Amino acid sequence: MTIQLVGMSHRTAPVEVRELLALSDEAAGDLARRLARAQPLEEALVLSTCNRVEFVARGERTALREEVFRCIGAFSNGASVDPGAFYAYEGRAAVRHVFRVASSLDSMVVGEPQILGQVREAYQRAREGGTLGGSLEQLLARAIRVARRVRSETGIGRMAVSVSYVAVELARKIFGDLDGRSVLLIGAGEMAEAAAQHLKRAGAANLYVANRTVATGERLASGFAGKALPFERILEYLQRVDIVISSTGAPGHVLSRKTAEGVIAARRNRPIFLVDIAVPRDIDPAINDVDNMFVYDIDDLQQVAAANLKQRHHEAAAAERIVEEEVERALRRFRAKDAAPAIVSLNQRLESIRRGELERYDSKLRDLTTDQRDAVEALTRGIMNKVAHHPIRAAKRSASDPRARVSLDDIRRIFGLD
Amino acid sequence: MEGHGTLLIRAALVLYSLGLLNSLYSVVKRRRKLFKPALYAFLLGAALHLASLALSSLDQGRFPVQTLQQMSSLASFFTTVVFLAVYARFKYESLAVFVFPLVFLLALAGALGGSSPDAPRPLLQWWISIHVALFLLGYAALFLTSVAGVMYLIQERELKSKRPRAFYYRLPPLAKLDEMGYQALSAAFVTVTLGLIAASIWAFAKWGSNWVVDPTIALAFLTWGICFAMVVGRLAVGWRGRKGAYFSIMGFGCAALTWVVNSGAHTFTGQ
Repeated sequence: MTIQLVGMSHRTAPVEVRELLALSDEAAGDLARRLARAQPLEEALVLSTCNRVEFVARGERTALREEVFRCIGAFSNGASVDPGAFYAYEGRAAVRHVFRVASSLDSMVVGEPQILGQVREAYQRAREGGTLGGSLEQLLARAIRVARRVRSETGIGRMAVSVSYVAVELARKIFGDLDGRSVLLIGAGEMAEAAAQHLKRAGAANLYVANRTVATGERLASGFAGKALPFERILEYLQRVDIVISSTGAPGHVLSRKTAEGVIAARRNRPIFLVDIAVPRDIDPAINDVDNMFVYDIDDLQQVAAANLKQRHHEAAAAERIVEEEVERALRRFRAKDAAPAIVSLNQRLESIRRGELERYDSKLRDLTTDQRDAVEALTRGIMNKVAHHPIRAAKRSASDPRARVSLDDIRRIFGLD
Repeated sequence: MEGHGTLLIRAALVLYSLGLLNSLYSVVKRRRKLFKPALYAFLLGAALHLASLALSSLDQGRFPVQTLQQMSSLASFFTTVVFLAVYARFKYESLAVFVFPLVFLLALAGALGGSSPDAPRPLLQWWISIHVALFLLGYAALFLTSVAGVMYLIQERELKSKRPRAFYYRLPPLAKLDEMGYQALSAAFVTVTLGLIAASIWAFAKWGSNWVVDPTIALAFLTWGICFAMVVGRLAVGWRGRKGAYFSIMGFGCAALTWVVNSGAHTFTGQ
């Protein structure tokens, strides 16, 4: 009885196929129960997100696949799903796949954080639905631990890969935490708004909007409890705020280098981060050469996003090593769990033989002195331990090494266990 | 009796070497796994080191700043203490990459000589021992300041270039480096000032006033001058960022030079 997995993801199926199998939480729960009941399967879990559907169960190789295909018809509104869109893994490969999925290594955007939450939910649901037994329970709990380890030991999820979030990340690299930092929006573009929302969520406190059309500015400002300013007061606020996001439709520079030099002097060199997402640009790029002023235009942000994505892939290599290590560890643990009951029943079996024989000879041994009795006890126990020694070693070895010559089943058969 | 102190510092050295290993490992392999064990090893090392210093003081009946080895050892201990204090506050692991190797080397220099019974030499007065200790503490803080400065310059270049490379991802934010550097600098300024006052009083009493031209002493004054300029510059005109970083590196350079140019009326050991 090994762990089986059948699934479909953005790697194997286009969205037209995936959408047929987008299961609601309820449907996923039903499906898991149905799988867990099907013979010869035990335990089942269904993970369904917009990019993947995974069916995990414990049982024989073909059973899961067949059962999944039987069920799918009911859930895909009769549309037929190409079997080629599915992959199937067994044992070690299945464990690895579950770990990689949870760690976001198999995600469309490597390192995205949502998948772990989705795995956790699927786990929780399967637990509540009563479709988990010891093995899948352990597998999922482990997968979540592995994902957390990958997150803390590699930088896979640390770097922003969307342009508006890159602005936040850069602000963090300049200011440390953003708690209480103030932001000035010059112009009221959509992207400026998105960046401002991100900054606000990251802790920025005071938001100001300076727009040529005051009404638009006020509407935007009220959206995140900010304050609208008349356009003429920009210079005054440039001396106060920490982050500026500029996105006006002005044809020339709104902020020249000369003005900027005056601003930084008035700020007594407190650093300022100027994000220019306007085209044509609002902020003279030469301002970037002024100490303590950091200017990023839209291409710069994109460049950082691209570098971050590359960095994520680099970190993914380290993450794969961690996953590999954890797969080994998990398999050892699973097999050791298999070996433990065999060893216990072997010991029980031998002990019951020993007691039985001692009882049989009880009348003949009754006259022995206490010392002699102890000697008989020690002698029989010694024989039992010596007999058990090699089989126990073989059982342990078969647990830690799948290629061991003697399997657990062999040992069970030889000693008539179960 | 002196064996205990030596034994302890050697044990501390072994623990510090784990830190060195961490530095190498994180530079070469870019994994963060080793940091926590190295940090604990470092804490334990510092505790042993302190015990070693205390034992040596008791054995010899004087503060262990009599020989250059002892000074190295004390300097390495102070650097550890300052690092741990800064780490406790800022939690930036990248600091360790710079600090661990220096601590190890200083402790190595301190342990190698051991407490070999030197030719009997006049005792340094406790007044001077305090001066030495204050200076070493100040220099340790200056070292941290300059490390923050170097890290600042690298991170600033990354941000200005707009092409993030490895350092961008691994170094702390600019504002934190600035703050860290400034706090370490303030501590350095206070201790170096006190150390200088202690020494000046003593030197006036002993030599009158013609000692000021001695190179070591002049350098010590220069170091102090740089610290002073940085503190005042920051408070008065807002020197910070790159300028502050350059100054802090200069300050530590000056302190390091003082250690090298160890001559004239003022030698660290002797007189």
